[in-house]
Amino acid sequence: MKKLNLRLFRMIKKTKGQYVAVLSIIITGIFIFTAVSNSAVNLRNTLDDYYDATNFADIFVTAAALPERLERELEGHDNIRQADVRLALDAKLITGDEDERVNVRAVSVDSKENKINELFVKKGRRTIKEKEIMVIDQFALARELDVGDEIDLNIRGRKFRFNISAIVSSPEYVYLMENEQTLLPDYEKFGVVFIEEEYLRRISGSGLFNEVVIRVNNQDDLDETKDYLEEYLKRYGVMRVIDRDEQLSNSMLNEEIRGLETVSRSIPVLFLIFAGIMLSVMLSRIIKKDRTSIGVLKAVGFLDGELITHYLKYAATVGILGGLLGAVIGTLASGAMTKIYLEFFNIPMLTVQVYYERLFVSVILSTIFCLLSGFWGIRAILRINPAESMRPETPKQGKKIILEDFKLFWNKLTFSWRMVFRNIFREKKKFLLIGAAASISCSLMIMTMWMSETMDVIYVGHYSEFMKMDYNVGFKGFKDEGVLNEIKKYINYEHMEGRVELPFEIENGRHSKIVNVIGLEKNTRFYDFRDKKGNKLSVPAEGILISSNLAKVLKASEGDRIFLKSFIPGREGEYVTVKGVIEQSLGINGYMNIDYINKKFLDKGIINGVFISSDDKIKAKLVNINEIMSTQSREDMQNIFEEFTGLIVAFMGTMVIFSGMLGFVILYAMTLMSINERTLEFSSLRVMGFTKIEIFKMLIKENSVMSVIGILAGIPLGKLLVEYVGLTFNTDIYTFHGSVSTKNIFIAIILTIIFIISAQLMTYVKINRLDFMQALKSRIT
Amino acid sequence: MGDILFRVQSLSKYYQMGEVTVKALEDVSFEVEKGEFIVILGPSGSGKSTLLNIIGGMDTPTRGSVVFNGEKITNFTDKELTMYRRYKIGFVFQFYNLIATLTARENVELVAEITRSTADIDEIMEAVGLYDRMDHFPSQMSGGEQQRVAIARAVAKNPQILLCDEPTGALDFETGINILKVLKDVNVKYKNTVMVITHNSPIAQMADRVIKMRSGTITEIIKNESPLAPERIVW
Repeated sequence: MKKLNLRLFRMIKKTKGQYVAVLSIIITGIFIFTAVSNSAVNLRNTLDDYYDATNFADIFVTAAALPERLERELEGHDNIRQADVRLALDAKLITGDEDERVNVRAVSVDSKENKINELFVKKGRRTIKEKEIMVIDQFALARELDVGDEIDLNIRGRKFRFNISAIVSSPEYVYLMENEQTLLPDYEKFGVVFIEEEYLRRISGSGLFNEVVIRVNNQDDLDETKDYLEEYLKRYGVMRVIDRDEQLSNSMLNEEIRGLETVSRSIPVLFLIFAGIMLSVMLSRIIKKDRTSIGVLKAVGFLDGELITHYLKYAATVGILGGLLGAVIGTLASGAMTKIYLEFFNIPMLTVQVYYERLFVSVILSTIFCLLSGFWGIRAILRINPAESMRPETPKQGKKIILEDFKLFWNKLTFSWRMVFRNIFREKKKFLLIGAAASISCSLMIMTMWMSETMDVIYVGHYSEFMKMDYNVGFKGFKDEGVLNEIKKYINYEHMEGRVELPFEIENGRHSKIVNVIGLEKNTRFYDFRDKKGNKLSVPAEGILISSNLAKVLKASEGDRIFLKSFIPGREGEYVTVKGVIEQSLGINGYMNIDYINKKFLDKGIINGVFISSDDKIKAKLVNINEIMSTQSREDMQNIFEEFTGLIVAFMGTMVIFSGMLGFVILYAMTLMSINERTLEFSSLRVMGFTKIEIFKMLIKENSVMSVIGILAGIPLGKLLVEYVGLTFNTDIYTFHGSVSTKNIFIAIILTIIFIISAQLMTYVKINRLDFMQALKSRIT
Repeated sequence: MGDILFRVQSLSKYYQMGEVTVKALEDVSFEVEKGEFIVILGPSGSGKSTLLNIIGGMDTPTRGSVVFNGEKITNFTDKELTMYRRYKIGFVFQFYNLIATLTARENVELVAEITRSTADIDEIMEAVGLYDRMDHFPSQMSGGEQQRVAIARAVAKNPQILLCDEPTGALDFETGINILKVLKDVNVKYKNTVMVITHNSPIAQMADRVIKMRSGTITEIIKNESPLAPERIVW
């Protein structure tokens, strides 16, 4: 081995504490980048493969009644490659429990194979006969259903018994949700079943179909094709034409993948920046310490370039090793992470690849990053003059620090505290880095605490403060208000209000979005609408209130006229005025006066659901009313949320560890650096009779001052981060707003302090091992 | 008269310290022959280290020139100066300045590597009396041993001149004499020109020529007809 390389190797060995510290930050950054971005790519590829294998539709149409010949008619269009009509209807699973309402969507399938949206058989066989049924696997698992079991369904008021012939997955229900308003999957309460087409048509009493799924030739002409379909299918009562991007399951998955991509781009950069700053500071200190050696090497004939290369190798090893280890561990973890995702989303295929080019890019990126920060740290080599370097460096001119001008404060300080402040001001860069580390750790902790709190706030707030009903009952189709009198006979209640919930495509110029608009009584007791400033808003007599996320998508604000395109056959659409923008944490909606919505789109006195506040157990009492499609209680939603808290806790734990690690590692490395550089000073203090604990306390005091300043700065930084994350992660489903509570700031501070204290205690080992006699003796070498 | 290795002509070096101009060297001229053992003698601040730094290519003069083997090194670029130091000059410093993380042998091999020298490291270590100690790190050696490693390091690249800045300055008498013996041996055995700068006047007795300096100027150049063997020097 070349002697300079040998020196490099020994230099790394000597500074192993700091080396491992900065390496661990690089590894973590690259690990998060590789694991998360690979998972996103894996998930995207798996999904694409799955969609290809099952010939997932490009366009989904819902209409009142479609004839079978429509397939042939549509396939005559230039851009329509395949069309498949089907019947989809809502049914109920008959369970032994009378209180339980389990909705299922029964979808017709061809007896052997669907040409579009083919099913993936996980157990059993694909061929299906009458009285047989295929069950989607999340639902089968949740309800413990297996091939060979019998289930009873209530279809259009009649009971039918089916034999389960297969457990299947469907590309259309990867993310299994009943509708946009459900927000979270509930596998036990909603499932999808597939029944042979002819049989379902027969037992449902409908000779016609109500849905058609379409594959197109050219994705670029998708919008034109959708427009064509809307126009062409008017005669069949078209209600909804959506493309793959708008399809519920697919759009939820895309949101998830986008979230992963955002994380993979933001957090690793933070880690790399810190690693870079740390590496730069570390190397600049090494250069300062090696000033004479560098002078000697220059004197004996080493070129500046050779010496820069020598020290850059230190940075390069961190970059290469960190990049490689991070990328390899990340790639391994991404396989496992993708598997967890696929299990969670229930995608039966798995496409996990080792992305060698990504491994390579990770290593190259981290190496370049380390080389650049390394060069920044060692550029002083160029200024070292061999002749001057042989002479001891001129001591820095002793001067007053700025604090000394504040006489009242300065005079009150003890001698040791004055030393502490002088040291801090003498080593500004190092202490700024310690402060920044404490600050970032604290702000990340605040963000983590806020995220966990805000999820809770979102759900609890949404279901108890924003929406105040105990039950939301949905009817099968539209009913006259008179149906409320029937319901009133069965239950005890405090208050009841009929409601209308209708899907619309809302347009504002070229911006549009399909959402449900809810028609409410003018003085509804079931919603508490507030604007951004917290002012209470009531349902306007005319016009519409829209949620802030809808306003953002539509680029609409109060006073704008927006177009509500109806999916009700025969009703084109209407312009309405935005009367207010409301804050809503969950979901994306519009709200109108029920009389106004009825006047514009339906008829007077029409409702399709009811909100009820009641202490009565009304689910059991309403279960047999045939007009009722669903009864959802506030507890149902909160219970589903509880099931998801496991994921949130895991996420929180990981974030707390990463945030704390950042602070821990930087403080540990910087303190080690201090000890190495000040060995002589500490040895002199030991000779003078200072105990190890006293020296340690001195170090702690210095670090504590900067840590406290860092933590204090971390509070506003954390709040900014929260605001940024809130904006970045807002989706149609979640709208993050609200501030961080004092309690959570306090918890974040305590956690940061724990990590900081741990780092300090670790460095005591080094002080304890300090051989002061050796340090003083080696002064001359 | 033998071959001229160095020709120093009207060399001056000024430093600006605030408003004061410090004349570290003023119009210094002399020549050095190949194979000579030269001692530059002078008190602190006489300009001898500045002179050595300029001759060694570590510093540049304000005026004047240094011609080495017919090449004017005072016109050299930074890179040319580095190559000059690499291939022609061997330095020995007062405080040895060894690389602390390399053993004695590795310190010597380090310079042999960059000069692609074919010198026998074992033989050199033997010559400086450190054959048995060559796997020790500097911190495990005495000052005298470290200085002998520094000499071996300078000799290993087979330089045309050894420039020694107060080589005995940090050593006790006996160790100092040993170091001078090693330098003399190197001068004789490898035919290297050796230039020692010192404030310690008895050392001048072993030189072929003595250049006396004071306040940046040469006060006297003495040719020593019968140099003393180092072991006979006393201070």
